[in-house]
Amino acid sequence: MRARAAATAALSLTVLLGACGGPARTVAAGDGTPAAGCAAGSVSGQGSSAQTGALHTWIKRYQVACPDAAVSYASVGSGAGVRAFLAGTGDFAGSDSPLTGADAARAAQRCGGAPVVHLPLVAGPVALAYNVAGVDALRLRPATVAAMLSGVATRWNDPLIAADNPGVALPATPVRPVHRSDRSGTTDNVTRFLAATAGPAWRFGGGSTWPAPGGTAAKGSTGVSAVVARTDGAIGYVEASYARFHHLAVARIGNGAGEYAELTDAAVTRAVDEARIPGTGGDLRLELDHATTAAGAYPLVLVTYEIVCGARVPPLLKSFLAYAASEAGQRDVARLGYTPLPTGLRSRVATAVAGLG
Amino acid sequence: MLFRSETPARLRRWAWSAALTSVALLVSLSLLTATVREQVRVIGDVAVPRAATAAELYFALSDLDAQVARMVLSAGDDALAGSRIDALGTYDERGRQIDEDLQRLVATADAGAGRDTALRLLHGLAVYRQWVWQALTAGPATGALGYYTQATNVLHLQLLPAAQELRDAAEDRLAETYAAKQRTTVLTVIAAAVLGAALLVLLVGLQVFLARRFRRVVNPALAAATLLVAALLTATGVVLDAQERRLENARGESLLPYLALARARAVSYDAAADTGRFLLSADRGHYRDDFTRKAGPLTDGRGLTGIPGSGEAAMRWLAYRRVHERIVALADSGRREEAVAAYTGIRRGEAAFDFYAYDVAISRAADERKRTFDVALRDTTTLLRGWAVAPVAVPGLVILLVAAGVRRRLAEYR
Repeated sequence: MRARAAATAALSLTVLLGACGGPARTVAAGDGTPAAGCAAGSVSGQGSSAQTGALHTWIKRYQVACPDAAVSYASVGSGAGVRAFLAGTGDFAGSDSPLTGADAARAAQRCGGAPVVHLPLVAGPVALAYNVAGVDALRLRPATVAAMLSGVATRWNDPLIAADNPGVALPATPVRPVHRSDRSGTTDNVTRFLAATAGPAWRFGGGSTWPAPGGTAAKGSTGVSAVVARTDGAIGYVEASYARFHHLAVARIGNGAGEYAELTDAAVTRAVDEARIPGTGGDLRLELDHATTAAGAYPLVLVTYEIVCGARVPPLLKSFLAYAASEAGQRDVARLGYTPLPTGLRSRVATAVAGLG
Repeated sequence: MLFRSETPARLRRWAWSAALTSVALLVSLSLLTATVREQVRVIGDVAVPRAATAAELYFALSDLDAQVARMVLSAGDDALAGSRIDALGTYDERGRQIDEDLQRLVATADAGAGRDTALRLLHGLAVYRQWVWQALTAGPATGALGYYTQATNVLHLQLLPAAQELRDAAEDRLAETYAAKQRTTVLTVIAAAVLGAALLVLLVGLQVFLARRFRRVVNPALAAATLLVAALLTATGVVLDAQERRLENARGESLLPYLALARARAVSYDAAADTGRFLLSADRGHYRDDFTRKAGPLTDGRGLTGIPGSGEAAMRWLAYRRVHERIVALADSGRREEAVAAYTGIRRGEAAFDFYAYDVAISRAADERKRTFDVALRDTTTLLRGWAVAPVAVPGLVILLVAAGVRRRLAEYR
C-alpha cells in the first residue's frame, strides 16, 4: 500500500511542474503579437519533445497577445506525434526529422491531396560536455570524438586527443564516455554526425538508440549532464542548454573546413545556413551537411519541424506559425538554448507560412 | 566720499547698492539652482537606481527560492527534464542578478547600517547556496527536502527580511532626497523673491532719482536692467515650479507605483511557488496558509488594487488565485491528478498560463511606470541644465547696465 502511495506520488511529480514547469516562471515584458494580427479559435499539435520548450513559450506568448486564441501542444515524441497527425489528430505535428516514404504518402492522403509542408522552426545545437582536470579549452575532430565515445581512446592523454590539442597538458585520467540510455533525437543526431564525418573511426551507423559498446548510460539530457558533472574524466553529448545551465565545459568540434568550431549562435547559424533544401515551393525539408566545409560552422546541430497540410489550414494556426517564424518569435526562444534561424531560412519559412492555404 | 549727501555720492550709493544686490542675487541663485540640479541628479543617478535595485533584489531572492523548489521537486524525473533545465536556467539568471544587485548596493551604501545589512545578506546567501547545493545533490531519498527546508528557512527568515531592510532604507533615502530638493527649491524661490524685489526697488528708485535730478524721463539702460530682473524673477519662478511639479507628479504617479509593483511582483512570485509547495509538501496546511497570507494583501486594497495603472495585473492575479483555490479544492478532495493538471497546464484557466499572463501584465505595468518616470526625470534635468546660464548672466548684465546708466551722469560732475 505504501509502495503504491509512493508510486502515485511519483506519478504526480512526473506531471507536476511539467512541460511548462509550473507557474513560477519569469518572462520579459515582450508579447507574442503576430505581425499579421491575431486569429481566434483553437488548434492543437503533438510530437517532438526536443521542441517542447520553444512551443510552450510561443503558445504562452501568443495566447497572452491574442485573447481569443487557444493553442495546445502535447510532447509525445516525434514518432507518436507524426502517427497521430497522419491519423487525423490535431492540426500539426512536431518532428525531429522530415517525413519519408510511406509516411509522406499517408500525409498527402491525410491532407486531402494538398501538399505536406515541413517548416523548420526550431534549431538546437548539441554540445560535447566534458569534465577533466586542468583542461578548459578542448578541441576534438569527429574521429577523436568517435574514438572517445566508443571506448577506443581510453586515456585523456591518448595521442589522438593530444594531436587535436597541441600544447595542452592532458592528464592520464581514464576517458569515461556517457551516453543516453533512452531513444532520443539527440543520439540520432550525434550518431549520424559521426557516421558522416568520423570515417572508419565510427562503424556503428546512425540511429536514435546508442549503438557503441561500453560507457555509462544515463537517462535524458539531465541524466547525462549529471553524470558528466560528477565524474572525473567524463565526456558526453547533451543539448546545448543543459551544458550551459550546468556550467559544463564544452569542446570545440572539428568541421569540414579544418577548423575547431566553438558552440556559438553564429556558428550554429552558419551550419544551418549551409543546409540544402531539396523540396519545392513551401516545403522546407533541410538536408544538413554534417561535413560542411563552411568556415566557422558548428557541425553538430539538430533542426526540428512543424509539419502541416498546405491547404485548409486554420487561420489561427497560420497566425501562430507566422509569429513563431518571425524575428521576435525566434528571439523569444533563444533564452532556452535554441538558436534563432538564419535570416534567409527564417524568411523562407515566413513566406511558406504566408503561402499556406 | 561715497556717503556724502551730494548728488554724485548719492548716485554712487544707488548704483553700488543695485550692483551689490545683483551680485547677491547672482551668487545665491547660482548656488541654489546648482544645488537643485545636483539634487535632481542624485535622485536620478543614485536614489532611484538604489531603490529600484533594492526592489529587484527582493524580487530576485523570492524567485530564486521558487526555482530551487522546482528543481528539488523535479529531481530524478526525466519527464520533468524540461522544467528542471528551465528552473536551473532561471536560477542561474536570478543568482547573477542578486550578485550584481548586492555589489551595487554595497558599492553605493554609506558606511553604517545599510552596508552592514548588505554584507550580512552576502554572508547569508553563501549559507543559502550551501543548503541549496546539498538539496540538489542529495536526491529525494537522501534528504533533499530536508536540505531544501533549511535553505528556504534561511531565505525567508534571514535573507528576505534583510532585503526588506535594504529596500525600506533605499525608499526612505529616496524620500529624504526628494524632501531635501523640495526644501532647496523653496529656499531658491524665497531668495529670488527677496533679493529680486530688493533689486527691483533699487533700480526703480535709481530711475526716479535720475529723472528728478537730471530731468531725464527714462534712463534706457536702467529700464532694460529693470525689465531683465523682472523677467529673471518670473522665469525663475516658472522653471522652479515646473520642475517641482513635474518631479513630484512623476514620483506620485510613476515612481511610487513602480516600486509598489516591484514589491507586489516579488510577493506574487513567492505566493505562486507556494501552490507547488502545497501540492508536494507533507505539510500542506503551512503552504495553504502561507499562500493566503501572501496573496491576500495583493488584492485587498493595500497591494495591486491600490496601485494606479495595475488594473489588468490585479485582474490577472485574481484569475491565478481562482486557479490556486481550484487546485487546493481538487487536492483536498483527493483528485490529485486533476489538481496537478490544473497546476501545470498552459490552457486558459490553468495555473502555468494564468501566472504567465499575470506576470506579463505586471511587468508591462511596471515598465510603463518606470519609463514615464525616466522621461520626467530627463525633462527636468534638461530644463535645469538650460537654466544654468540665466541666474549668472542676468545679474551680471544688470551690473553692466547699471554702470552704463550712471556713468554719463557721474561724468557731468568731473
